[in-house]
Amino acid sequence: MLKYLVSVTKDLLMPGILLGLLYAYIYQLYGPKGRKILTIGTIAGFAASIVMSVVKNRTRLVDLGMWNVRTFTVSLAALVLFFVFRALAKKGKGGSAVPVLAAILAFTLIFYAMPDIYALPFDFNLGGASLYSTAFFFRLIGFLLGIVVSFLACLAVDHAGKRLSPGLLGGMLSLALIVNGVQQLMKVIQVLLAKRIIPSNHTLFTLAKHSANYSDIFIYITLAVAAVIAIVLLVRSLHVNEPYDNPAQHRKIKAAWRNTRRWCALLLACCVVGVLCLTLFTSLSEKKVELSPPEECEQRGDDLYISFDQVADGHLHRFVYTTDDGVDVRFIIIKKPNGVAYGVGLDACDICGETGYYERNGQVVCSLCDVVMNVNTIGFKGGCNPIVIDYSVENGYIIVPTATLVEHQDEFTR
Amino acid sequence: MKTYKKILALLMAVAAVGMMAACGSTAEEPAETEDAEVVEATTEEAAAPADAAGFTEYPIFEDEEVAFMNVSAVYFQAVPMSNGNENIEDFDIHLECDVSALENDLGYGVGDWIPYLTVDYQVIHDNGAGDVAAEGTFMVMSASDGPHYGANIALPDADTYKVIFTFHNPEENGYLIHTDAETGPGGLFDEYFADGNLTVEYEGWDYTPMEF
Repeated sequence: MLKYLVSVTKDLLMPGILLGLLYAYIYQLYGPKGRKILTIGTIAGFAASIVMSVVKNRTRLVDLGMWNVRTFTVSLAALVLFFVFRALAKKGKGGSAVPVLAAILAFTLIFYAMPDIYALPFDFNLGGASLYSTAFFFRLIGFLLGIVVSFLACLAVDHAGKRLSPGLLGGMLSLALIVNGVQQLMKVIQVLLAKRIIPSNHTLFTLAKHSANYSDIFIYITLAVAAVIAIVLLVRSLHVNEPYDNPAQHRKIKAAWRNTRRWCALLLACCVVGVLCLTLFTSLSEKKVELSPPEECEQRGDDLYISFDQVADGHLHRFVYTTDDGVDVRFIIIKKPNGVAYGVGLDACDICGETGYYERNGQVVCSLCDVVMNVNTIGFKGGCNPIVIDYSVENGYIIVPTATLVEHQDEFTR
Repeated sequence: MKTYKKILALLMAVAAVGMMAACGSTAEEPAETEDAEVVEATTEEAAAPADAAGFTEYPIFEDEEVAFMNVSAVYFQAVPMSNGNENIEDFDIHLECDVSALENDLGYGVGDWIPYLTVDYQVIHDNGAGDVAAEGTFMVMSASDGPHYGANIALPDADTYKVIFTFHNPEENGYLIHTDAETGPGGLFDEYFADGNLTVEYEGWDYTPMEF
């Protein structure tokens, strides 16, 4: 559940806050007419993102890297024009272009962010469970929570932001848009370098590398912008001195600020969830499964003897042999269903290395890639199957020569 | 409101033109460097479907020659594969090693894909410390552009990497060569693998995680 909450929140919270800021700013300066234009861009963004998601996931027509370059190019051009026309509008010229440019920015935000969100439930890794399982249900809850948090953050920024002074709101919006623009520019550079459309360049790559490795910083700054808006308004709400002519007007003013305080509290709560997603929830969702401890087995000479009785229950059994070089070489044994054969292999595979396997709901699962093994193919080479080792069966024992384990000791960390 | 509509229409048109311009040949064709031309030629030779923009290979290195093999490496989005390898959630890319035959005396046609190899890979941070970012043995598989050696790998960090491919003797997997004068191609694998496995190393792969 946490994994999908984190994933969706990371994808949507930043565009959600930006969209809220755009709505607040345009409403404050251009009223309902400006808001309508922005809504046209928003609806167009949702419609286009649905089309993109379907085309991307159902055909092979979409080179997403290049589409992102196109989207960001349009967005960056609109951002520059937005600042130009906003400056002109202060001198009384070209102000009508500002809501249109805001609509284009909203379009690109949604068009970029949403296609992956629509596709995500279809790609839930259910580990072999069905659509009607609790596994799917919990993943869906995480997914929906991420959407709800981002949507509420958008609404809260919109409602709270309208109470800010135009100067401060414009400043906050500019900062958030510039942060988003810088990230978009870095992503464009990443694609162009990877495709060798622009030649390799150390400075550009260094910039692209750091922006990729520290991409959470862009979200943190946007969250900080939202938090500052909420805190400024909360502080201001404590010292309201708006003039009023009668008690009814006074009550109305107080009610409006009470309402603003609630939106601010909601916004701060969304920011806290956002920070938790970037920190605690991320580390919890990436926590590795602890492997069960290895079992005892008997060593006779150069062979390890495991009796059928010890492993006949159909569950995964883990054993370990420490080589002369001090390497713990783990291997697993499981009785195959519907038969008398046993699957024997290293507790490691060629693809995922020594991360090992664990048992989940009667299935053997790779602890790194979460692939569910077909128990009947354990003991055969290929895929994420355990690496095959030599063994023999004799008088009710599975006999594993220590030589075969020593041979594979390089698969395990010393 | 009319002014708004006019400006909206105008700017939407500009945006559309911008997008179409970006769709054009200038943006999608690699820069005309020698390397980029080789990549394009390799891709065409691999007969990738013309409508498969979603299957765009990103080059790592091209046409490194070792013994009887021509080796290239590309990467693209992690891909689901058959036989229990459908889950791609924890992987960032699909690393692919393309191995074709050079002029040889082992019976391979020039340009043929070479089967029965065991190919190990190592992706190492190119920082001098030798920190391994990913390693393993490639699986053998077919994509729409033909067979190759490849694996989905987790490579979340942008960095400059060194890539090492190690090629084992095909005889380890039971591939044999006729040795008689009448039907044999004339050569033996032992001539190429006398000093052990063959390796190809490439330094300076500038990688950033991508949205494919």
